[in-house]
Amino acid sequence: MTVRHVLALAMLVVATATLLLSAGALLVLPRPYARLHALAPATSLGAPLVALALALDTGPGRGAVKLLVIGALLAAGGPVTTMAIGRVTAATDNTHSPEDAGT
Amino acid sequence: MNAWLLAALLLLPLGLGPCVWVACRGSAPQRLAGANLATVMTTVLFLLLAQGFSRSSYVDLALVLAVLGPAGTLVFTRLLSPARESRTSSPNGGNTA
Repeated sequence: MTVRHVLALAMLVVATATLLLSAGALLVLPRPYARLHALAPATSLGAPLVALALALDTGPGRGAVKLLVIGALLAAGGPVTTMAIGRVTAATDNTHSPEDAGT
Repeated sequence: MNAWLLAALLLLPLGLGPCVWVACRGSAPQRLAGANLATVMTTVLFLLLAQGFSRSSYVDLALVLAVLGPAGTLVFTRLLSPARESRTSSPNGGNTA
């Protein structure tokens, strides 16, 4: 049990807790706008942390670089897709006009 | 059983389950939030299972999903936006593209 493995496992625990928190928030937060906040922890912290933990456990090399690229893609794709979903939700929401759509 | 498989075992029902539940109810844009989070969860599951079973070649699945997942969500938002519907259904034979 090396220090690197212990650190990777610690990251894995935090990442798994973050992803479960995100899934729970998706169920609990009210529709339609507050629910979009549930996507942020998963894409900005949970998934990149899993990729980092795996890269740490894998050790230096091409495999670790691929894992980090996947983590970066998820971290970058999250906010973009969340904003796009927010915009289409505001556009199709009859009760609010897009200007005063409070998020 | 190792830590990666244990995390995958936790995330499969408790992480993916709520996403599928949300993706099955409500209006289309609200379902999209569940589908979007399901994509992220599935990508993470692919990573964990690849590491847990020591099959590093399966990481490519997660890489492809990490690229195509957000792109697919953006296509959905493009198709769901009403601006697109009003243009295609305008009576005076507007732009139908």
